[in-house]
Amino acid sequence: MDELFGQLVEIFEVESLDPNDHLVDLDMWDSLTQLSIIALAEENYGITISAAELRDAKTIGGVISLFENKQKS
Amino acid sequence: MEQAAYILVTGASSGIGKGTAIRLSADYSVILAGRDRARLEETLSACDKDRNHLIWEYDLADLPDLEGSLERFILENNCLISGFVHSAGYFKMVPVKMLSIALFQNTFNINVIAAALIVKTLTKKKLNQGALKNIVFISSNISNFGAKAFSAYSASKSAVDGLMRSLAVELAPAVRVNSVLPGGIRTAMTEHTYQDAELVARMYAVYPLGPGSAGDIAGTVRFLISEDARWITGQQLVVDGGRTINITG
Repeated sequence: MDELFGQLVEIFEVESLDPNDHLVDLDMWDSLTQLSIIALAEENYGITISAAELRDAKTIGGVISLFENKQKS
Repeated sequence: MEQAAYILVTGASSGIGKGTAIRLSADYSVILAGRDRARLEETLSACDKDRNHLIWEYDLADLPDLEGSLERFILENNCLISGFVHSAGYFKMVPVKMLSIALFQNTFNINVIAAALIVKTLTKKKLNQGALKNIVFISSNISNFGAKAFSAYSASKSAVDGLMRSLAVELAPAVRVNSVLPGGIRTAMTEHTYQDAELVARMYAVYPLGPGSAGDIAGTVRFLISEDARWITGQQLVVDGGRTINITG
């Protein structure tokens, strides 16, 4: 999941991210960023996630877990 | 044996294409085109039973064999095609920072290039014997406007409308070519944009006539295909419940 972490750093346009970072506290957290993560999930990981699932993930670590769980299921 | 004339509808397995194929089947024999035979069979089962209809199972993303496959289909079924409705579509909401070559290629292959190659095939005199009379492209009301995360899709719809106008001039007077520009219609293709109830409510609020359905688009296509539209060509017909003329707020 290091690769995903790096991709999220790029999407959020920050120097670094911490798994405990709350999504709502990140400057770039908006509907376009949500769409970017949804597109990343589909194009790079072959999984479908919804905006609601993404919002429910709450933290960067939660987003990574969401990707992992979707890939397993 | 005299060859029967059909209306070819791409994207007939779901959404606007399915609704259009079923509506047209009351007045015309239709060819249901799509990737998934089982879903095409479902559409077929809802079509008017008094006419003969056919299924052309093909993935339009496979552009290199598209012309050959359609030619073989026409010859094998000994049919002529008098109308073509391009409803197959590829739609992903993708912000600028996630744009990719693959996204543009996938979007344009289905939305624009497949339509052009089908028209090319259907205008071959030896194959279709000048039977083609009508073309309707399912475009989108985004074609003349803009929205966040719609760049690839809107570019493809502007492109298909540009294609429509040039074909209308080049193929006249034998063939009429028009586009229907729907507003947001909830279908399998667009379902991912209808996941947030609050967003859906906000979206519907800007439609003066409220939400539309595939049937609203099917009726318009039926009109454009009919003789009632015999002096209409090269036009974008917007069917969006007033969405794009609403400047409230």
